[in-house]
Amino acid sequence: MSVPSEYFVALSAVLFGLGAVGVVTRRSAILVFLSIELMLNAANLAIVAYARQWTVTGGGHALEGQGAVFIVLAVAAAEVAVGLGILVAIFRHRVTTDVDQLAEVRA
Amino acid sequence: MIGFLIVAALAIAGGVLVVAARQPVHAALALVGTLIAVAVAYVMLDAHFLAAIQVIVYAGAIMVLFLFVIMLLNVERQPPAARWGWLRPTAYGVGLLGVVAVAGTALMERRPAPDQATVDAVLQGGSPERIGTVLFSEYLLAFHLVAVLLLTGVIAAVSLVQRPGEGRGAEALPVAALAEPGPREGEPA
Repeated sequence: MSVPSEYFVALSAVLFGLGAVGVVTRRSAILVFLSIELMLNAANLAIVAYARQWTVTGGGHALEGQGAVFIVLAVAAAEVAVGLGILVAIFRHRVTTDVDQLAEVRA
Repeated sequence: MIGFLIVAALAIAGGVLVVAARQPVHAALALVGTLIAVAVAYVMLDAHFLAAIQVIVYAGAIMVLFLFVIMLLNVERQPPAARWGWLRPTAYGVGLLGVVAVAGTALMERRPAPDQATVDAVLQGGSPERIGTVLFSEYLLAFHLVAVLLLTGVIAAVSLVQRPGEGRGAEALPVAALAEPGPREGEPA
């Protein structure tokens, strides 16, 4: 017996909500970034769940959901490389990653 | 079903720790746990290739990068913000509301899960061969664009981390400074 797709979507919603709360409440920019990764993964989980559900229709395009998730993974990898580079550069100029103290983006 | 509940509990526990852990390193390690739980969920959803990629690229490469930067920057634990005291409870409240709304909407209208025979016939376990066929035929342009994006990301990361005026060529390497004879310690200059 396979698990209904709605459960996976609900799990994805919970993870996304946790990530969103983390983005708002965390003060260190690295931890904000970590929460964004959590949200990205929640979105991926929802896409994969819907890709499986799509097979009910005969599944002309069901695999494309998984292809899309692959591309999202690659984009996330590029994003992390650039984002962490920016964080290191900011840390050099102003010796902090506290987003409250980085309110003006001028560095 | 029991397997799913275990995976969901692990993923949510990891997510809560990501949001609530005091030490940044603990938050990053909790995220690794969540990512691996999500990979198990991918296996349940017949996306075996994605599960492998998730563990190798996400839980492996990306999280190592995160841990490396956390340790490099030495992010100390921070005291809770004195001002904006209302922000944290409001964020938790709004987040909980959103989660209940979305998850409730999803769970309200249930459809039966596709039977395993159909899923196997269409997805074929999400094997690399099938995903490669999709990526290299209909989504070839997107695949190429991702390649360009990754190259741009590498160049951007290197140029961002470089100090200005440094690394123009071989003369910037510390080897050149070592080879240059200078006054040694203990010797009169």
